Amino acid sequence: MKILVCTETRSGQLDSVSLEMLSAARSVARSDDEIVALVVGDAIEPAAGRIGSADRAVAAIDGTLDLPTAEAYARIALEVVEAEAPDLVLVAYSSVGLDVAPDLALRCGLPLVSYVVSLTRAESRLSVVSQLYGGKVLASVDVDGRAVLMINPGAFPEAPAGAIDAQAIIIHDPSASLRGLKIELLEEVLPDLADVDLAVAERIVCVGRGIGDENGIELVRPLAALLKADIAGSRPVVDNGWLPKIRQVGKSGRKVKPKLYLALGVSGAPEHLEGMSRSDLIIAVNIDPKAPIFGVAHYGATCDLFDLIGALTERLQTEQAQC
Amino acid sequence: MNILAVLRMTPDPAGEFEVREDGSGLDREWVDFQLSDFDEQALEEAILLKEASGGRVTAIAIGEGANRALQMAVARGADEAVLIEGEPGELLSSRWLAEAVVALARERGTDVILSGVQTGEDLFGQFAPYAGAMLDWPHVSGTSRIAWVSGALHVAQERGGGVTANYRVGLPVVLGVQTATKVPRYVSGSKLREASKTSIARVSVSDFVPSPSVRTLHLKPLVQAGGGESLGDTAEQVADRIATILAERGLTGVRLV
Repeated sequence: MKILVCTETRSGQLDSVSLEMLSAARSVARSDDEIVALVVGDAIEPAAGRIGSADRAVAAIDGTLDLPTAEAYARIALEVVEAEAPDLVLVAYSSVGLDVAPDLALRCGLPLVSYVVSLTRAESRLSVVSQLYGGKVLASVDVDGRAVLMINPGAFPEAPAGAIDAQAIIIHDPSASLRGLKIELLEEVLPDLADVDLAVAERIVCVGRGIGDENGIELVRPLAALLKADIAGSRPVVDNGWLPKIRQVGKSGRKVKPKLYLALGVSGAPEHLEGMSRSDLIIAVNIDPKAPIFGVAHYGATCDLFDLIGALTERLQTEQAQC
Repeated sequence: MNILAVLRMTPDPAGEFEVREDGSGLDREWVDFQLSDFDEQALEEAILLKEASGGRVTAIAIGEGANRALQMAVARGADEAVLIEGEPGELLSSRWLAEAVVALARERGTDVILSGVQTGEDLFGQFAPYAGAMLDWPHVSGTSRIAWVSGALHVAQERGGGVTANYRVGLPVVLGVQTATKVPRYVSGSKLREASKTSIARVSVSDFVPSPSVRTLHLKPLVQAGGGESLGDTAEQVADRIATILAERGLTGVRLV
């Protein structure tokens, strides 16, 4: 079996999901199987120094691929898939991968399984487990034959980050793929961190859909102030305009690792967990005992959220008054 | 500009997910279906685009309660409502739906197809890139802002880590919307009542046929591993326990002062 792993680089760094996909590939590969890493970027480094767990790499390098569009990536991946004929193609569930994986599957006539969190191989059959419905349900799928798999970030451990042998790198000229692209990258806008940078915050109080509305967030502000914590929100809160984008935690927001992460009314969709599951101390309060946030929380409670906000605020105010 | 907005009825993400005993799918008797969050954002983006550039919005919906979503779409400003009838599979297959919508887009001389970036049951892939690849149109998923500028679309896409990429793309195009440029508009009861009189066109499509090489779909609820320590039952108990834990770890604001 040959497995093609579509790695991603970002701001000169190999994205950690690339190493996770290499380990996913290795977990189902046998000694006579081959794992090939696809590298798309403006330089072979930093990927070459870290993808040593692949047997071979195909590198498509071009000065315009510093931040490749999914269109450019998909075209290159299609050429490589046609040339290499892999049995499995692993693509990250990322902003680029979301566009690349279905496009590639459709054009190659392959089935696609998304949101993959586990792989097991028995004989010629591959058993795939995916997360559905915001991580609340697991789906088991048997894949018999070639397929594209979209891998959830954080689902597999990172493969050892050693260098790949220079002799094992094949250069793929991407120039034909890059002609006549229909999507033009105008600019990359970095977040304005003047007000708050959640990535370095030590304490975060994060509110989710369960907070109800903007009034609910106002109730949380005194609590956050008492805890000297920054307020953050999950995607639905930000999409509703209750908090600014810069305060969003998760896949499309900030990735955080505070000493305290107090999650209030956050269900814990995989996209949210991707951004906060490595926090030192996670305390989650959600009325739904099946909420996936409890899967990563160190402490949890299912009591009424608003009663808890009131009680905890009062308790901390009393403590402060006594000092 | 001829715009198609795709509206899918999917299980309420905040609801309970009961799985049938044989694992063959969700127990739908207990499922509350609602318009997918991201599709609601896509609908708003479609109406904003129509307002900025002129043209028409056709709302295309599928799933339980889709008529309700179509009436809401008309109340928000869609010009036409189309209901897709066909068996989409145990989980609504976006690859299957894309084939149906692509056929409609070809018939209607569509310039822009907008859908939500994903649904919670996109086990076999997402709509926008499938539709884009089928039509050989460019596609961008995870958009957070769309503007019509000098005959092209300027599209902002979330690239993770708070980074936004801005693109220019001509027509035709397929866009998978994460967040609309503005928060979806409020619709008054009177507008909804008026929209309920709108005629809804129906399009029948062939039923979903699973891929022969992807077999045995089995669902089960996620069982939390570990699940952490319970903090108690009442709000007062939980508050006391949290305060104690924070104090033990030196994490209450007061300890730092």
